[in-house]
Amino acid sequence: MEIDQNNIFKLCKELGCCDACCLRYLGLKNPSAYENTKDVVTKYAVQETAIKSSDLEDSKDSKTLEDIKKNILEDINIESDINGDSCKSPPSKKRKIEPCVTCLGILQEETWADSFEMVKEVLEKKRYACNTFACALSAPMATILRERVVALHLEKSISHYDANALTPLKEAWKWSFGTKLATHIGKILDSGAVSPLLITLNIDYLDDLQELEALKTIAATLFESRSQQRKRFSTEFTRRVVEQALEDVTLEMIQAASESCCLPQITAPAKCVSVVCTHTPMYLGGRYIKLSRELPQTPWILGGRRVMPSSVQEIIFQPLAEFYGMSAAEAERRLKLVAAGREDVDVRCLGDGRPFAIEITDPQRQLTSEELAQACKVISSGGEVIVKELVPIVKEDLALLKKGEESKTKTYHALCIKLSHSELDEVDPDSPVTVTDADLERINSYRNTKEGDEAKIEITQKTPIRVLHRRPLLTRTRHLIELHAEKVPGHAQLLYVRVRTSAGTYVKEWAHGELRRTRPALPDLLRARTDLLALDVAAVHLHWPNAHFPTQ
Amino acid sequence: MEYNILDSVDLTDVSNFKSFTDRYFSKRYILNVGGKENNDIMLMFHSNRITLLSLAPSHFFFKKNCDYKINFNVHNIDRLSNTVKGKGKKGGQMLNPKSVICKIEYDDGANFDVPCGMKGTLIEINEELIKDPQLLKSEPDSTGFIAIILSSIAISDSMKNELLTHEEYLKSLKL
Ligand SMILES: [Zn+2]
Repeated sequence: MEIDQNNIFKLCKELGCCDACCLRYLGLKNPSAYENTKDVVTKYAVQETAIKSSDLEDSKDSKTLEDIKKNILEDINIESDINGDSCKSPPSKKRKIEPCVTCLGILQEETWADSFEMVKEVLEKKRYACNTFACALSAPMATILRERVVALHLEKSISHYDANALTPLKEAWKWSFGTKLATHIGKILDSGAVSPLLITLNIDYLDDLQELEALKTIAATLFESRSQQRKRFSTEFTRRVVEQALEDVTLEMIQAASESCCLPQITAPAKCVSVVCTHTPMYLGGRYIKLSRELPQTPWILGGRRVMPSSVQEIIFQPLAEFYGMSAAEAERRLKLVAAGREDVDVRCLGDGRPFAIEITDPQRQLTSEELAQACKVISSGGEVIVKELVPIVKEDLALLKKGEESKTKTYHALCIKLSHSELDEVDPDSPVTVTDADLERINSYRNTKEGDEAKIEITQKTPIRVLHRRPLLTRTRHLIELHAEKVPGHAQLLYVRVRTSAGTYVKEWAHGELRRTRPALPDLLRARTDLLALDVAAVHLHWPNAHFPTQ
Repeated sequence: MEYNILDSVDLTDVSNFKSFTDRYFSKRYILNVGGKENNDIMLMFHSNRITLLSLAPSHFFFKKNCDYKINFNVHNIDRLSNTVKGKGKKGGQMLNPKSVICKIEYDDGANFDVPCGMKGTLIEINEELIKDPQLLKSEPDSTGFIAIILSSIAISDSMKNELLTHEEYLKSLKL
């Protein structure tokens, strides 16, 4: 069944729709149609005139009718050409426009000048390097109601009219406003799925809430139940609720609820009140070496007071914040450190360092490789932290860091002390305690797993007392993959232990046994009291920031 | 090696190396609990609200030479069936200062109760004592501890303030 498109156009116009909204109700979905609506609507307007002429002069033959049509078309083309030429300062700008009954002016070019200026102002301040953009519209809720009322009128008057074919306001706005905005800001309009830069326009309408009042009559039960649950619904109207209220609405219901049939006189068109520009986060990857035993990974603040003056995070952020022109407070908000685990304050992290990533929220640009090299230099200059390389990575790479946290093994170097004679040795109890060859043998040959197993030793660890107040009490099974001990020349009581552990092993507790809450621990192997003097992470076995690093 | 671990620590005082409990816990003492002479207990407070319960070195237990058993089923409460769930340690047995954690039963028929001395939640019984009861006598301030108790910051702090410190304890022993 053919739907009378001219009639749709005519009725929309009668109700007070702008050209673009007429095209929306006609169901036009080709973006270019919205770039120059004036040209496109002539098709419908002309035919309408033509039909009228034919009605009036039905005595004339078809040839004459064609002539009239052609003449009118030419006239209009000339007119639109004139408009096209004067595009830079359209005469319509001076004229007070009649705001569209549906979109409240949002799709009317005449209302756009201020919006362009506001976008430009934000962009000039933020200076994004990105040469594409996507745009999003936050439209007044009254447009939902008004749109529906016009659709109901069309459904009533035009047989087989399908309101579902309506082109959404947001789409039509992107195609019309977005295209023009592109020329004003010198960037290429793209979809939100492609461009990392999103420009959101918040458009307000003075009578928005007042016009929605009628919904309380139309969907009385819905709003009653909402007001009874006021705790759950702090705001009366949301887009969802407006749509819900309009689900089964009829024109009669609307007429009964509102004198103006919910299309009251528009006192002032909707207006852009704010522009928000955001760039999707960027990511940097690297590895940090921590040389200090008095440096936490992240700021250590207790009861509002700093326990330690600095942190790995702050040292790494400092030069990056400077390149991005962020204040310290802003850096704290916009930079995020994601590391593959963390070491205790008093533990150093040596070797190739610990893998980490930095998430930069709303970045203006990617830093150049020269800047990244400079950042590494600044970070490393303080002598507490060394970062040799920072490279741009993508969000998907972060999964490797998180996965690594559960699966990666780590190699530690521990300086341990033997505090008592081994129960296995028959020695004079008053003689000095020393690390013996037998001790080393007890450690280096110990195995409690099957020959051929990847891990030499399986241990169980209760949640350490030092974290027990904030973590559940659990007994976990962990593995020591490699274990090797050596004497320390010149220090008879000390031993140097290299141990490679599975993720989540508490090495400090293994070194002293933590009141036998970790077993079998180093004291169990030696049958002597032992403790830890110093601990270094020697290697975090994870390929990061790329598969070729570290080469081992 | 680029950053020698030996150079990164101060080794001048290794001979006076502090034990694990001395490093991380503050020792406090309650003497003559329940009016019983030398029924002395020691509480070791970690800075994080965790407390270890032990017998004080002056306890009469250390003077008596007789085999013993440690019974954790006291006054119809089985301390060994204690379980705690999650970060909040839900389900742990509630303790007040008079709650008995275990009973020491000598082979000669004598026995005495070990009270916990403070308000809190029982987190863990030192199960090593079941395998090796001798630890209670040989390592009272380390592997021979009796139980782990969790209290609030307020209780933990006020107990630390009120009870005898290690120095005060040593002084009181000389009297
Ligand atoms: Zn419109």
